[in-house]
Formats: sequence, C-alpha cells, structure tokens
Amino acid sequence: MSQLIPSEEELQAYVDDRLLPERRREVDLYLAAHPQRAAELDAWRADARRLRAALAGQLEHAPNPRLDPAWVRRDLRQRRQRRWASAAMLLVALGVGGLGGWQARDVNLMAGNPPMADAVQAHRLFAYTSSLDLSVNSPEQLQAWLGQHFRHAGNLPDLSAYGFTPVGARLLSNEQGPAALLLFQDRNGERVSLFLRSPSERYVRMPSGERTEGELQARYWSRGDYNYALISDVADVRGAQLRQVLGTAL
Amino acid sequence: MNELDDDQLREMLQRLRRFALWLTREAASADDLVQATVERALSRGAQQRDHGSLRAWLFSILYRQFLDSKRRERRHLRWLSWFGGSEEVGNNTQDIVEAQSGLAAFARLSVEQRALLLMVSVEGMSYKEAAQALDVPIGTVMSRLSRARAALRELTEGAPLPPGLRRFK
Repeated sequence: MSQLIPSEEELQAYVDDRLLPERRREVDLYLAAHPQRAAELDAWRADARRLRAALAGQLEHAPNPRLDPAWVRRDLRQRRQRRWASAAMLLVALGVGGLGGWQARDVNLMAGNPPMADAVQAHRLFAYTSSLDLSVNSPEQLQAWLGQHFRHAGNLPDLSAYGFTPVGARLLSNEQGPAALLLFQDRNGERVSLFLRSPSERYVRMPSGERTEGELQARYWSRGDYNYALISDVADVRGAQLRQVLGTAL
Repeated sequence: MNELDDDQLREMLQRLRRFALWLTREAASADDLVQATVERALSRGAQQRDHGSLRAWLFSILYRQFLDSKRRERRHLRWLSWFGGSEEVGNNTQDIVEAQSGLAAFARLSVEQRALLLMVSVEGMSYKEAAQALDVPIGTVMSRLSRARAALRELTEGAPLPPGLRRFK
C-alpha cells in the first residue's frame, strides 16, 4: 500500500503531466481518496495554465536589432579587432622605443651611419601594419596629406602605370626632424614606400645612391628641401623605374 | 560539428526576452541581459543543438548572467551606501504587470520561484533542464517547485503570507 502514496516529487510531476501512464492511474486513485490534496493539485494546474495564457502574449516584443545574432557577431568582431589594434600599437610603440635606443647605440658605435637608415627601419616597421595615420585610395588624398605636413614637397607622380596605388601614410619623427613614410601597394599586396625628411645635419645634401639591407633595397636622393628614399624589395625590378619617376616628379 | 546558426538563435530571442523580463522586471535591462546571453553563446563557439537543449543551454547562460549582474549591483549599492547615498534599484513591475492582473501574484514571487515556474510551467522544460539552468540538484528543483506553487496559490487567493515569503527581491 505504501507504494501507492505518491511522493511530493511525484505530485509535482503529476501537475506537469510527466508521470508514466501507469503511475498516473495509481495517483489518480490516491487522489480520489484524498479530495483535499486533489483540489490543491487542480488549483496548481489551473495556476500554471493561467500563467501560460497570460505570458503567451509576451512572445511578441517589438524586434530589437541589437539582439540579432548577426549584429552581435559583428559587434564582437569589431571589439576583437579594436583589442588587437591596441595590442599592435603597444607593440609598435615598444618597438620604436627599442629601435630608437638601438639606433642611438649604433650611431655611437659607428662613425658613419648608412644613408637613410631610418627610411629602411621605418619601412620594416610600418610597411605591412595597419597602424597608419592615413588610409587612402586615391593619389589626390595622399597628395593633400603630404602638402599639409611638408609644404615644399613636390607633386607625387601617378604610379598606377607601374601597378602601384597609394594605401596610406605615416608621420614619423626622429632626431633629424619630422619624416613621412608613404606607402604604395600593387595588386598582389606587395608594398613599396617613399620616405622623406628634411636633410639631417649629417647629410646636408645627400649624394644619390642605393644600397641593399637584407632583403630591402633603398634608393635615395636629395631634391629641393628634402631627402628621399624609395624602399622596395631587392628582387622587385620595378624599383629602378619607380625611382626614376619619383626622382623626376618630386 | 556545425556551428550554431543564427536562425536557430533568432527563434529563441522572444523566449529569452520574456524570461529576462520576468527576472529583471524591466524591459531595458532585460534586453541587455539577452544581448549579453547571445554574445556569450556566440563567443563560446557553440555547436548546433536541437531545439530543446539549445533552449535549456541559453536559459542557463541567461540566468547566470542575471545572477552576476545582481551581484555587481549589490556591490555597487554597498559602495553607494558607504558614501552616504543609497539608490533604489529600478523595479518597474508596474507596467508589465498592470496590463494583466492575472500576473500580479506571479510578480510577487521570489526571482528564483519566477525563474523556475517560467521554465517548468511556461516553457515546459524538463526538471533536469531546469536543474542545470539554475545550477542546483534536481531534488532541490522539486522541492522549490512545490514551494513556488504553494506560494503562487496563496498570493493568488490573497491569503496572508509569513513575512519571510513576502520578499520577492
């Protein structure tokens, strides 16, 4: 007989219709003999029904676009990118600090500094990062930016004939004063950069020339108020032509 | 294993919003809670699940986020009280309850009881799923369910309650 008396848990399951049919029949029998308990369970069941009915209307809230998974995905991605960007900036800042120190040491150690070493360093650091001061896609934008910062700079030639379009620029500064790195990219993502700055004390007017440093080729010259350097991959045969065009135009 | 797809999640949004609304009793914080839940679900690289288990999983995320936010809120209030001010936490049950007087009694249940009845009676989730979502043993779910139902009954009838049960925050 004792098995017939349902436990409290079974009574809950009875209210929720979760009992196996067999046990359900047994509980029905028990409740028939205990009308008070039966009335209580009925009331609970009615409460649940009322609650369901009353809340059914709350499934039609006006849509909120920021809850949409696509929106949330986008938002998450953007936040991740921002975090990466700040991490990258920090790295660059540390790198520049470290390099600066390293260069100062080099200057002390060596009587001579290879011409436009800062241009090569700048290219190494910034050519393939996205931490640029300016992102552009037209030569006009780049020209405008250049004019703002270097009033005596000439006109940038159109390099599209050689497959290069401007991507951006970064303003730099070292002990010799302000400098700029202008970046150009070809269809395959290969980048070359044009570096310019006021002539330093060490190279008042620099003789034109070129040198190789690692996998990079620096071609440098002086013109007007500035020293220029074109940094490209050693293997890139377009370097010589670009140097020619830039040298004439600037 | 396939990634959780957006449409599956989208189908759950209204249920999640209703659940969140009855936890926070405030439309704006409810949507914040749902947004945090979707974020958490997506950033965990969720796998595809069937309807039932996806719902149970999302409800459990939402409930935990809610508890976390409560904890932060309490800490915040403690800080405020240290500095002399005290600020009543928003409790805008009025607007969501008054529309349907049938919900007045439900609104007076404790947040745990509301969560449980929403999952079991309204959503029809299994006891096991509710236990997982609330992070308590299944036996606890059963006894709480019994108490929640009795409390709802008493509140509906307007019977006086011992003071301990009156608190619903």
